[in-house]
Formats: sequence, C-alpha cells, structure tokens
Amino acid sequence: MLLLWRTTSHRLNLFVFHFEIICLNKGKLNHRTMSRGVCISRTLRSWNCTMGYFGAHHYKWYHPPPPLQVGHKGLTVDLRSDTITKPTEGMKKAMMEALLGDDVYREDPTVTELERRMSELAGKEAALFVPSGTMGNLVSVLGHCEQRGSEALLGDQAHIFLYEQAGMAQLGGVQPHIIPTRADGTFDSQEIYDRMRDEDVHCPRSALVCIENTHNVCGGKVLPCHWIDEVGSVAHSLGLPLHMDGARLLNAVIASGISADRILQACDSASVCFSKGLGTPVGSVIVGTEEFIQKALRLRKVLGGGMRQAGMLAAAAIYSLDNMVNRLADDHRNAFVLAQAICDTESTNVTCVPEDVHTNIVIVNLRSGSISPEEFCARLALVSEEEAKTLGEEIVIKILPWTATSVRFVTHHDVLCDGIQATVAKLKYVIKEIDSQRK
Amino acid sequence: MSSQVNGYEGCRVVDMRSDTFTLPSQGMKEAMMAAPLGDDVFQEDPTVIELQNKMATLLEKEAALFVPTGTMGNLICVLNHCRSRGSEVILGNLSHVHIYEQGGISQLGGVHPRTLQNLPDGTFSLEELRKAVRKDDVHMPITELVCIENTHNVAGGRVLPLEWLDQLGSTCRELGLPLHMDGARLMNAAAAMQVPPARIVRDCASVSVCLSKGLGAPVGSVIVGSQEFITKARRLRKVLGGGMRQAGIIAAAGIYALDHVAPTLQRDHAHIKAIAQAVSDLGSKAIFVNLEGVHTNILMLECDLNVLSPTQLCERMGQITDEETERHR
Repeated sequence: MLLLWRTTSHRLNLFVFHFEIICLNKGKLNHRTMSRGVCISRTLRSWNCTMGYFGAHHYKWYHPPPPLQVGHKGLTVDLRSDTITKPTEGMKKAMMEALLGDDVYREDPTVTELERRMSELAGKEAALFVPSGTMGNLVSVLGHCEQRGSEALLGDQAHIFLYEQAGMAQLGGVQPHIIPTRADGTFDSQEIYDRMRDEDVHCPRSALVCIENTHNVCGGKVLPCHWIDEVGSVAHSLGLPLHMDGARLLNAVIASGISADRILQACDSASVCFSKGLGTPVGSVIVGTEEFIQKALRLRKVLGGGMRQAGMLAAAAIYSLDNMVNRLADDHRNAFVLAQAICDTESTNVTCVPEDVHTNIVIVNLRSGSISPEEFCARLALVSEEEAKTLGEEIVIKILPWTATSVRFVTHHDVLCDGIQATVAKLKYVIKEIDSQRK
Repeated sequence: MSSQVNGYEGCRVVDMRSDTFTLPSQGMKEAMMAAPLGDDVFQEDPTVIELQNKMATLLEKEAALFVPTGTMGNLICVLNHCRSRGSEVILGNLSHVHIYEQGGISQLGGVHPRTLQNLPDGTFSLEELRKAVRKDDVHMPITELVCIENTHNVAGGRVLPLEWLDQLGSTCRELGLPLHMDGARLMNAAAAMQVPPARIVRDCASVSVCLSKGLGAPVGSVIVGSQEFITKARRLRKVLGGGMRQAGIIAAAGIYALDHVAPTLQRDHAHIKAIAQAVSDLGSKAIFVNLEGVHTNILMLECDLNVLSPTQLCERMGQITDEETERHR
C-alpha cells in the first residue's frame, strides 16, 4: 500500500492541513480509505479555506469518484514500461534447449553466438553480454574514460545522467558534463566544441560523448541518422569516441527503416537492451571494437556481471532477434492509436501530439492547475461504479507519472489488442470526467 | 562427456576445474520455465521474492537480495558496510575478495584493504585482528568491516572451525565492527560440518552465498543481512548494474538448488576424498596431498617443482597417451 500525504499552507496565516490519501494496492483501491480521503478534502473545502500555494503535484480541483473493488474479471493493462514484458513460450523453449558453458571462462556457446550475432547486426567487431542496460552503459563509459579526471559529455535528459544513480561518478570517478537536450532528443553539436576541455591543469579531460536512441525522456524519439553522423564527426574531430545508449535501438531501427549498423556507423560503442520491447527476462549487449570489448570484459567482471551459464539468458536474446524485432511495429502502432485517441477527445486538460510519437512511448501532458500526474495515474488505476457500468467492464490502467505536468505510457508485446482498445475506452471516459469537472 | 583429445576419439572428459561449470538439471530447467515472473526492479517478481525469503529464513537473517554473481554480492556488502570516505576492511590475505575480485572494493568503492596473514586452515589470528584495527587518528583510514571466507577457497575448500567463528564473532562485537562472510560455498561448509548454515553465520552481519557453484544454478548469488542493510544494498545493486528484470526465471533455479541439490553436496565431498585417498595411497614423491585438509569439494595437490610444475601436471592430465590407453585395456 502506498500512502501519499501532502500539506499545503494557507496564504492567510491559517495553517490548513489538506490530507489527500492515495492508496494503491496492486491496482485495487481500498474503498474505505479512498472515500475517507475524499470526504476530508470536501470538508476542508466547505470551510471556505482559501488555498494558497500548492505544491507542484496537487491541484485539488479534480475529485476522483469513489472506487469499486475490482473483481478478478477486471482487466489490468500495464503500460508502465516495456521492461515488464515476460518471456513467451517459444522463448522459454529456446532457453531450455540452449547449449551452455561457463561464460567467465568464455566457454558458453550460446553467449558466444549472441555476441557474434549482435556484432554482425551492429556492424562492430565484437560484443559482450551483460545483465542490464545500466551495466552496459557503465562498462562503456568506464571503458572509454580510463584516465583519472575524465569527463563525459551527454544530454541533460539522458538516462545515463538521470537514472543510473550517477554510477559513472559514484563508481568510476568520471565527471558528467551536460548539454541541453532539444525536444527531439538531440542537442546542438556545436555545444560539443564549446564544452571540449583544454589541456589545462584546472580542467578534467574530455573523454567521451554519449547519445541516447530512442530517447526515453523525450518520449521515445528516434534520433535522425544525419544528426548521429554529425555528432560522430564532431566528436571524432576532437579525438573523442561516441557511445550510444541504444536501450531501445531496435525500436529506432523499426521506426526509421534504417539498419542498426547504419544507425551505429558513427558510434564507437553502443549498449542495446533485450529485456525491454524485445521481451527477454534479463540482459543487454554492448558492441564495439575488439580492444574495447576486451576492456569491457574486465569491467564487467569487477562490477559483478561475470555470470556463469548465462547462455540460458542469451538464448532468449537470440530468440528475440529472430522473432520479436519486426513486431515492434505493432507496439509503435498501438502507441500511436493511444495518442490519437487522446488527441481526438479535444480535451484542453489532457493533451498529446500524435506526430511526436515515434515509437512505443507516449508522453501525455496535463494542463497545469487541472490534474496532477499522480492524480491522473491514480484515477486510471481505479474503477468507479459508473465507469464499470458505462464501459461494460472493469479496466485498470497502470502508467507512470513522468514530469511535473506529464505522464508516460509505454506499449509492448504483453499488451494485447483488446488491452489497447480497453485503454482507449477508459482514457476517453476519464478525460471526459476530468473535463466535466474542470472546464 | 565424450570428445576428441589429441587424436583420440570418444574420450571421456572429466571437468574438475571448478564447480562453477555445473549445468542446470532437467528438473531445474522445468522449475525455471514454470516460475511466475515480474519486474524485479519494481520488486514485483514473486519468484525472486520467494528465493530471498527462503534464504533469509534459512540463514536466520531479516532479509535477502538476489544478485547476478558472488563478486557483486561481496562488493555490495563491503561497500554497504564501508560507507565513510577513507574506510578500511580487515580480511585474509588469501581471501577471494582480495585476490580474485579485481580489487573492486578499492577500484570502485575507494575502500582500503588491510590484510592479515591467513593461516593454512583459512582462519587468521585474532590478536593480529585486534592490532590491525585503526585508531582515531588523522593519519589513519577508518576500520569499518571484517571479512572472512567459508569455505576457504585458496586454503583448499576448508571449513572454518565453529569455535574460531564464535570467538571472532565476540571479538568483532567487542570492537564494534560488523562481520561479513564470503559464503560462496557456505552450503558445502554446512554439509561437511552437519550443522545448519544459520549456526555458521550466526555472528555475521551479512553473508554472500553462491547458487551457481556446487548448487548448480546457472546464474546467481544471494546476500543476506538486516532489513536496513538489504534496503541499502538494493541501491548498490542497481548502480552496479545488477538490477535485472524477470530475474525470477533464474531465481527459480536457486530455489530448486536449495531444495534438491544442497542435500547432495556430501556426495561431492565423498568423491573428492576418494581421489585424495587414491593419490595419498600412491605414496608419490612428486605429488603430495594433505588428507586432513580435504574438508569439502576442493582438492589441492602439491607438486615437487624439481619433478614437474602445476602447469605441466594439468597439461598431462588433459592429454591421453598410447601407453595409458594400453594399460586401460
């Protein structure tokens, strides 16, 4: 159970405590506590308290309906991330039948096969299987930034910068130097020149440029190929290698129709996830030169990523390369359908730009002052009686709050066609409900 | 396993390089395929949770965390205990953490190792330990942890004596230092001593146990400790890149291993003892074995360097000669 307590302070020296209780219990809401919370909010409002400053996450204009206890026939559509994808039966069969060995001794034939396949796909000399994208990126950054006092240039919205627990600094002593990211996931390549360090005892040494494709925070955007080439050219002219966080690279490949090796042409290394849209349970692969991968092998070991019979996991990845890549187009189509449905409601409170949906991620904006991301997520996760009657079924949608004014939907292979239809139906209902409260 | 070795077809290969080479059994694989899964970064994988609970209960600790390797298990534990800038850990000079983990605790965590001379039985002197503890002095790092290893790999798979463990435990308590056990082969120790593993780790604040060695799982280790320790350990696991997704598929192998393979470890010990006995019976002047030192599933053979080197012995064992095959017929 997750309880969120907020307070707002009254502008007129009246200290008003406004409790809003949001309970999330596996998509089911506790009717008692939820309605208690709603009662308290309504009571406080009836006291005619003037609400002064509100924290970024709570506007109090939106009143969710009392929730229904969702029965076992309820449909849950989990759009929080493509990391939740489970292995298919075919994938599991491949895992069971895989030939195995000890990968620390580099004797696992299935891991070797996956690495060979990936290096070929990426047009690089060699590859290395790692337990996660975080480790893939960390190994790559530390592999490139070997000298004490190194600095890595990357976008200020990069996953490596925001969501990898500052690993490069925490563990590797590498300083990140951020560049403002544009809405399309790129940055001005001129900024690389501006940020390139001089050889000066005051300065760290620029050692690496990092980019991310598709760009997560910017909404799954596909980086333009010509831009990647341009950044590569600038970086190389300055003697800097280029690393791509390609967690969702295959999504970029399918969306753009451009091959992985072409996309990565200017990149010296890349980290590609298999546990996201490709659906494997665990793992990523990094690619690069033979020399780079030899360094990466040592880094992987010291970080604790030297797994033994990892071929079982690699087998899932090989299966996904053969069976799960082309279907990413379905995820992209489903994302577009959701975006279009939101746009079609013509709501001014909940908005989305379908043209901005390149792949399987949809960022939905919430008008400031209407409903907060947390409230919107909570509402989608609860089912009201009226809603169940109108829609004819109990639908629970799980998504994640994204920024102070947006939420994120991610489509993937565990969301079936009827899941998307149900999501559309529920979204339309909820948006209408919000609009009716907040004109 | 049959293959071609230096010209001989249909050879039998017996791989005793390590217990890390163990392959998952059919039963283990079936358990893996049937396991319910979820995203373990969101802490929603029920099989990972089940394995963690099982391990915590087995070792009588509050909580546990599944990690991809023993190296990561040890690294997380050391970094988790040694939080101050300038911290130091006291450990044996022949410990796996010191010799075979690439200096990770220093390389990645800035932790200083203070080694004590390991005695042949895998222990070290408690007097030396007391002397090694740092004083509060601006010249000195800060002692924050003591590490031990059980069974002790380099010492030949020896089981640490319980009395020594108990004395060490009380010494650490007195010194206000936590005790971490690299229990990669803890289950071998428990099997050899016929003592519950929880008794062995009673005084340890944290333990790292491997599932991928003698227990036969393809991947993974588990660390145990207090609830607070494990909550913090989760963050360290994430930053190191150990946050796996549907990790339940490999955790299931760990559960199977604890239920079905752990009870059979004594068989591995019996096998090693048989080999050790056979070598001893030969009374060779070139290759020696210390029978007393064979406790678990590791056998160390000493070579007289005037006759042959360890490398030569390994090479010879990996070859087949005509004379040898003649004798067999």
